[in-house]
Amino acid sequence: MTAQLPETASRKYDLKFARWVRDNVYGGGKMNMCMQCGTCSGSCPNGVEMDVGPRKLFMMVRAGMKDEVLRSSTLWECTSCYRCVVRCPRGVPVTYIVQGLAAVAAREGYAPKIENASFARAFWWSANTFGKTDERLVTMKYFFSFGFLEGIRKSLANLKIALGMVKAGRMHIGMPHKIRDSKGLQAMLKKAQEIEAREG
Amino acid sequence: MSEKKTYTYYPGCSSEATGMHLDASFRAVMPELEREIVDIDDWNCCGASVGLIVGGVLPQTVLNGRNLAKAQEKENRDVITACAACYLNTHGNNEKIKQSAKLRATVNEALEAGGLSYTDDLQVHHAMEVLVNDIGMDKIKARSTNPLKGLKVAGWVGCQTVRPFAATDEGGNYDTFEDPEFLDDITEACGAEATEFTPKTNCCGGSVAVMKPEKTLHLMKTILDAAVESGADVVSTPCPLCQTNLEMYQDAINKKYGTDFNIPVVFPTQLMAVAFGLDAKKGAALHQNTIKAGKLEKMAK
Repeated sequence: MTAQLPETASRKYDLKFARWVRDNVYGGGKMNMCMQCGTCSGSCPNGVEMDVGPRKLFMMVRAGMKDEVLRSSTLWECTSCYRCVVRCPRGVPVTYIVQGLAAVAAREGYAPKIENASFARAFWWSANTFGKTDERLVTMKYFFSFGFLEGIRKSLANLKIALGMVKAGRMHIGMPHKIRDSKGLQAMLKKAQEIEAREG
Repeated sequence: MSEKKTYTYYPGCSSEATGMHLDASFRAVMPELEREIVDIDDWNCCGASVGLIVGGVLPQTVLNGRNLAKAQEKENRDVITACAACYLNTHGNNEKIKQSAKLRATVNEALEAGGLSYTDDLQVHHAMEVLVNDIGMDKIKARSTNPLKGLKVAGWVGCQTVRPFAATDEGGNYDTFEDPEFLDDITEACGAEATEFTPKTNCCGGSVAVMKPEKTLHLMKTILDAAVESGADVVSTPCPLCQTNLEMYQDAINKKYGTDFNIPVVFPTQLMAVAFGLDAKKGAALHQNTIKAGKLEKMAK
């Protein structure tokens, strides 16, 4: 046996990103249990709208494809139905990991124009400001995140639905519902964000 | 199982908006089944499916920690919610906190910034779990003095009511993830007929349907097709977002696919309210459905 082994492949797997996901994304510690069976992708109701299914997304994490993972539409087309979570034969909390990666993508600036990230920003603004989701204001803030004209266009397109809701008494007119101790809640959330930044 | 029991109720944001008719009918039927409910004082949003994307995982847990801290002020050890997303977040985070002293300490460090702490071991229940495990179908059937004879109901459970907790010990093991039977059981306990409806745990698109309906209309069309094919007069779903999505997007689906869907989508608590002989408006809140459930309304006393 004198023949030299071939050179290591020029494009080798880079585990730095996978390790980072393992240590920093909620549920990521179980991602190494994934055996690439594809049960998650096969179970996904909205897979047709995704660049790649969760199975391939996880393989891309292992391959160190950080930018491709964090730019994938997969993070934003997940409807949080948890079918993959209950079906995964290895107990990987797939939905939680996808949501966690979406949070990383939003925080690291990978999703400035992604609808779902804009919606999430509007949603969190309402939760933080009022302590409650004001469906009207979240929707309007979301619509107008696309610019003034697009905001008007989207509002008009949904006017019939909104009027139907008002008529049915399911959308109120007037000030937002607000918790009494919104100051206390804001202090808690601020502290929670400080702790998360501190402990990673 | 007949003694009166009190639950601490977490109504959630939809109870004041698109899911008001779930809240109203839930509040109406629980006392009829000898269960009292007492609201959490000054409850807040659970964060739903998108809160953590911007807020972060820990802040989302703290949102729920605050509700649990407020719930422990009541005497009852059992918390109940009728909203799928509220249940997912409150129950999920409660179990995480109960299982990790470290997380509890971290959550309490944040809660103390607002003068609260969560030290108890409460149990969070979905309303459907309580109907199955605590109240039971026999009691619902016995209370149905106005059985919904001839009403055909497609039972559409949706996702987060059963996933990922229904078939776990912590979730009360009240049904399966894939083929739950409780919703059809409620339909039949009310004297109505459950139709053969296969996509019972299909997803409507959830919040993605709210922000980008064009991406998820295909999901709702599958559900509507199956409901109509099963011969249903109404679809019954326990989830407030499922109800609103499937109701408000029928026009858009008809435009996109050239269909003519106009099928009412009601809550099982609305079916129960009518079957219990309660008022169509005050008890069942049927006036708040945008697609009127005419056949059900006519059955109301």
